[in-house]
Amino acid sequence: MFGQGLLKGLGITWKRMLGKKQTVNYPYAKIEMFPRYHGRFLLDVDKCISCGLCANACPNKVIQLEKQKVGTKQYLTKYVMRIEYCLFCGMCVEACNKDALKFSSTIDMNQYRRSWVRLTLVDRPAPKVEEIPAEAPAKPAKAEAPAKAAKAEAAAAKAPDKEG
Amino acid sequence: MGETIFVDLTAWLRGLMGGLGVPDLYNEIILMVVKMTAVILFVALNAIWLVYMERKLCAYIQSRVGPRHHGPLGLLQPIFDVVKLMTKEIILSKNVDLVVFLLAPILIVVPPIVAYGLLPFGKGMVAIDMNIGLFFLVAVTSLSTIIFWMAGWASNNKYSLLGGMRVVAQMVSYELPLVLAMLGVVMITGTMNLSGIVEAQNGIWFIFTQPIAFLVFFIAGIAETNRPPFDLVEGESEIISGPYTEYGGMGFAMFYGLAEFANLLVISSMCVVLFLGGWLAPFGWDFIPSWVWFFLKLYLVIFLFMWVRWTYPRIRVDQLMTFGWKVLVPLTLANIFITGTGIYIYRAIGW
Amino acid sequence: MKTQTYTLNLGPQHPSTHGVFRIILELDGETVVKATPVPGYLHRGIEKLAEARTYTQVIPYTDRMDYMAAMLMNWGYVAAVEKLMGVEVPERAEYVRVIVGELSRIASHMIAVGAMGGDIGAITAFTYTFRDREYVLDLLEMVSGSRMTFSYFRVGGVAEDLPEEFFPAVRKFLAELPGMCDEYDGLVTGNEIFQARTKFVGVIPPEVGINYSLSGPTLRGSGVNYDLRKVRPYGVYDRFDFEVPLGQNGDCFDRFWIRIEEMRQSGRIIQQALEQLPEGPIQAKVPKVIKPPVGDAYVEIESSKGAYGAYLISDGSPKPYRVHFRRPSFINLGYLGKLCEGWKIADVIAILGSIDIVLGEVDC
Repeated sequence: MFGQGLLKGLGITWKRMLGKKQTVNYPYAKIEMFPRYHGRFLLDVDKCISCGLCANACPNKVIQLEKQKVGTKQYLTKYVMRIEYCLFCGMCVEACNKDALKFSSTIDMNQYRRSWVRLTLVDRPAPKVEEIPAEAPAKPAKAEAPAKAAKAEAAAAKAPDKEG
Repeated sequence: MGETIFVDLTAWLRGLMGGLGVPDLYNEIILMVVKMTAVILFVALNAIWLVYMERKLCAYIQSRVGPRHHGPLGLLQPIFDVVKLMTKEIILSKNVDLVVFLLAPILIVVPPIVAYGLLPFGKGMVAIDMNIGLFFLVAVTSLSTIIFWMAGWASNNKYSLLGGMRVVAQMVSYELPLVLAMLGVVMITGTMNLSGIVEAQNGIWFIFTQPIAFLVFFIAGIAETNRPPFDLVEGESEIISGPYTEYGGMGFAMFYGLAEFANLLVISSMCVVLFLGGWLAPFGWDFIPSWVWFFLKLYLVIFLFMWVRWTYPRIRVDQLMTFGWKVLVPLTLANIFITGTGIYIYRAIGW
Repeated sequence: MKTQTYTLNLGPQHPSTHGVFRIILELDGETVVKATPVPGYLHRGIEKLAEARTYTQVIPYTDRMDYMAAMLMNWGYVAAVEKLMGVEVPERAEYVRVIVGELSRIASHMIAVGAMGGDIGAITAFTYTFRDREYVLDLLEMVSGSRMTFSYFRVGGVAEDLPEEFFPAVRKFLAELPGMCDEYDGLVTGNEIFQARTKFVGVIPPEVGINYSLSGPTLRGSGVNYDLRKVRPYGVYDRFDFEVPLGQNGDCFDRFWIRIEEMRQSGRIIQQALEQLPEGPIQAKVPKVIKPPVGDAYVEIESSKGAYGAYLISDGSPKPYRVHFRRPSFINLGYLGKLCEGWKIADVIAILGSIDIVLGEVDC
């Protein structure tokens, strides 16, 4: 019969019209992403040893990090990711030996202004070390400095969260 | 209850004005103005409702939810659309033919509104009861052709010109099957008065005695209103929007919102009146007023049009012409022949 | 009376050119007299950028070429590096590559089918295929973390193993896949209007197809049995049992219908790969800094659009000296100019949809 395909098409659309809808009411209902999703970046500052492997692994030179030598260790003072150039490929996360850089499942990274997009994960001053051979005064200074730095880092990390 | 609501309203208005001492001539003029305003309001309100219905139906067929944000179930969405379109800029390109360009969206709404004055909404409820109602209706709906062509020519755009040429070819070719399908109905009833045609369907609706004519009228109606599968005028994936490409803001709203849905309303109403029994109740269920039956049938036919729209792809220009001239016209001529012989035989037998 | 032809620009901005692609048409009424395709509006210089990146850093750039089937793009490039270095990929990695590659192929064909239906006018078919593509993208997100540009392949294997929640989800998808293909068949392929629009339109004769180096469904629509997975099997493709659908007339309808059949066959391949999946490592022992020996290598794989190849020249340093990609969409477009002559404007859209180009691949 001539119109058979046409009638079959009508039947399919009729069934779909009465069937289940696939829409997710997005801003009011959240979408659950899978655990491996490449979302927003999280840097665990205590684990980071400022080796710079992540910055070298990036195809687009997105990561800019600055470090300063405090005592015997390297101290991370600035860690900025230029998200507007990021490919979200995951090479940096894969390159980190200490598991410090990770992806989260946050998908909202949009901002109102272009200048707010750049993700500053760490921006803190290096602590002062009075005398290097004198361990005793240096120890309480070093003990105070991480506490101060932790507060500063928490404040810096919270600011992008509020906007995002 | 509200069986004769419009008739009662007009009688009340006449009485009111006669009581106030208005002379008879002015009485009739004021009533005519009220009727015209009511018709225009009806068409405009329906166009707004149809915008919402089309989007919701389209979404449901594509297994998604349509507008839902503004108002409950998104019912206020068309109002937001209208406000947005009214605030948009109408961009005039460099070499457009200004008078024709600006006149086209204004004139496009006129033929459907004129046609709507003739349709019977219920028992005795016709704005203008003309003896050659059907003939007048056909003449008026064929005026839309030149207005689309005006829009296509004035835009100074090759895509619009293509669309305009296509629209002339399509609308002229598909008027012939449309009119010939109606001829079968006219032959059976012997009158062109629309109320007379509705009353002649008291025994059995014409969709059962003239199924071929109904099918051809439906297909030609889709072609006349430029909807898919015959929407190569406003191609969307070939010629972007055909004649309407250069219009923005209110011009766009006139073409897509008012003109398309007003034309759809006219064709669906003609379908209901000619084939589906107008305001007559099926199985004699008189407890629902006649004008409610008319609206129910009208929206059923509109639903059929929309269902067909979102299912089928679009056909090509030369296939359109082949289909119109080589398939539909012979079908309708055969239908007329069969109807004629049927009537003759019935009369000869003496039924 | 004298008539003349006019020039219409099916410009870069158009709803149906699958991206920013321009065709300059010379028309006589509605019939095409001459068609000149003009690519290059999406050129991003991937081949040049690759010369300043290390071999692993090029992999995210290959994703961006054919973004509909990004896993297959990764595969071609990584296979070329492996051939140059002589690395042998472990078995489990090969099977995982087949699974994600075929899932990517299904996703790409869904877009091809939907986009062609949408161009012809059946917009409902477009939304149905996109809705079904979401399932495939969810599966690939479970595996790699991204939905469209995966960067999942590494030199010598893949980046991470398949997670636990992947297996029941993929089995559920494979059970529903024949139903999805039947729905597209019922809505679009069996539709008389669609058949009238695409049958015997844009016929490519087989010899012409071979002469112009066409490949993929564009060539198989004309009846030429050339599928790189059967003719020159790479990886573990010789262990699977699947058919290669062939067309008869070489028209748009055949090229459309082949893609739906290929989706079904990909489902079969994934089923067999899941059953045969062995245990083992997922990446070969490759040095941290990849420095292939001096030389060159060319490897071709069967991507969803045709034969996709990567040609590498190495000069012993960690960065490639020259990378060139043989992109199937670009080569399939070579015949477009001649193919459109004599047809109407509406047919040009149908033909372009049936060749199924992706502008990221055409312009690289």
